[in-house]
Amino acid sequence: MLEVRDIDVFYGDAQALYGVGFTVAEGELVTLVGANGAGKTTILRAVAGIRPVARGDLLFEGEPLRRVPAHRRPGLGIALVPEGRELWPQLTVRENLELGAYDRAARARAAESFAHVYDLFPKLKDRAGQLAGSMSGGEQQMVAIGRALMSRPRLLMMDEPSLGLAPLVVGQMFAAVRRLHADGLTILLVEQNLARALKVADRGYVIETGTVSLTGTSEQLLADPAVRAAYLGV
Amino acid sequence: MGEVVVLAVSAVLLAGFYAAMAYGLGLIYGVLRIVNLAHGGIIMASAYVTWQLFDRFAIDPFLAIPIVLVVFFAIGVGIYLGLVRFLPRGPAGAVQSLLLLFGVWLVIRNVAYLLFTGNEQVIHTGYATSSVRILGGSFSATRLAVFAVATVALFTLHLLLTRTYLGKAIRAVAQNPDSCTLAGINVERIYVFTFGLGTALAGLAGTLASTLFAFNPSFGASELLKSFVIIVLGGLGSIVGIALGALVLAFAEVFAVYAVPPYLTTAVGFVLLVVVLVLRPGGLFGQRVLR
Ligand SMILES: Nc1ncnc2c1ncn2[C@@H]1O[C@H](COP(=O)(O)OP(=O)(O)OP(=O)(O)O)[C@@H](O)[C@H]1O
Ligand SMILES: [Mg+2]
Repeated sequence: MLEVRDIDVFYGDAQALYGVGFTVAEGELVTLVGANGAGKTTILRAVAGIRPVARGDLLFEGEPLRRVPAHRRPGLGIALVPEGRELWPQLTVRENLELGAYDRAARARAAESFAHVYDLFPKLKDRAGQLAGSMSGGEQQMVAIGRALMSRPRLLMMDEPSLGLAPLVVGQMFAAVRRLHADGLTILLVEQNLARALKVADRGYVIETGTVSLTGTSEQLLADPAVRAAYLGV
Repeated sequence: MGEVVVLAVSAVLLAGFYAAMAYGLGLIYGVLRIVNLAHGGIIMASAYVTWQLFDRFAIDPFLAIPIVLVVFFAIGVGIYLGLVRFLPRGPAGAVQSLLLLFGVWLVIRNVAYLLFTGNEQVIHTGYATSSVRILGGSFSATRLAVFAVATVALFTLHLLLTRTYLGKAIRAVAQNPDSCTLAGINVERIYVFTFGLGTALAGLAGTLASTLFAFNPSFGASELLKSFVIIVLGGLGSIVGIALGALVLAFAEVFAVYAVPPYLTTAVGFVLLVVVLVLRPGGLFGQRVLR
């Protein structure tokens, strides 16, 4: 479904990605893991189109993405739940969700999408009229995921959805990810919580200083001595 | 007592016009973070357009409003696409945008001098001298009509911003443009539309002003400053904030007759501005984002 081929990405003169390549097949849950500053967020931003790609190719369902402007990509079925949530704090929860379905095709199915999001996160239904900025961290993360789902994505990318959340809430978040995956959604998950991410994922890629250093199924990675030493502290 | 009531009604009528006048400036600032220094020039240009429509084609100023809105929306889109679009985004572009739009204002003003000389113009409508009695005072029909149009304009705008997808997208862009792109909103298009809308509102203010005041090509300078005072007082938070800011300014100006000689009343707003900036830098009703 998604094929990333050998991409280079820069911030000004500083290169952040060096020939990164990976794939995500339909229905898979793939995770990208790696240390702080490794380039995970940059990869997701490149796929979403908000960071230009200097070299290499991005293919979504076989179609090249590089020339598609970022605001058109949700219409193709690509959604990103950004790091740090990035909600519109002075809009209500309902308005935040509504704007997730801005694309014409998504807008036509907004009622159905609202039902789906409220079913996944019942709390949002009770808080629909509240300003997003006044919600707790966990609730805001639910709004961010809900907003991405409103665009009817076929590929959902999530950037550290558990960041800064209480353990109980982290559990709920992973439960939601698992459920979306079970319903057949293709997911690309970036996580700092490697053990937990590999537990829900089918496959993973380890990112180190802007390149893919290791890849395998979740079981393989969890059993890998280098991964265990570097990321699990065992 | 009677006089106080009359002055209060008068202040409310003036506040309606002020709110409509300030809203375009506030909207553009709220969404693009640019102080549109051409705002006053647009108001002046629109007063001339309205006068020309009246003088040459006998179109009543109030009936000219739809034409003015369309023309100035197009002019705003033109200014954005031709100039503002090329400015660096964010704080880096702040100084450039001030200089650029000040330049636009000078150009508009000099064109007006060339075309219409520096003479004062007034629009004499048939109903210019009719008046209506309210609460023991006599108020000109024109002032009431201006108040009504301003109120309808603000109410319509409020509905646009709170009830439509486009309006919600405008508010979202004001709060976080990056996540708008992720949601599939073409942020650049929102900027174009907002600049057009803000300019159209300045155009509306010019038409309304042309029915109330005499004007020449220098007209618009104090309108720009007053608009600025209002958005600082009221914040960008909402139509309500702008309306409150406009009321404070109008009441201060109108009731200043008790305290200072008439030629000083226009200075009242600026004194108010300085006091507020010193005491409450966030504005009186402090909402710094469009919501
Ligand atoms: N806006 C930016 N400007 C300049 N450099 C940046 C910017 N954003 C990221 N970088 C650099 O690019 C590299 C990759 O950053 P990125 O945010 O993709 O890492 P990450 O793997 O998501 O890290 P984290 O786990 O901390 O979120 C880092 O060296 C970082 O310093
Ligand atoms: Mg990151």
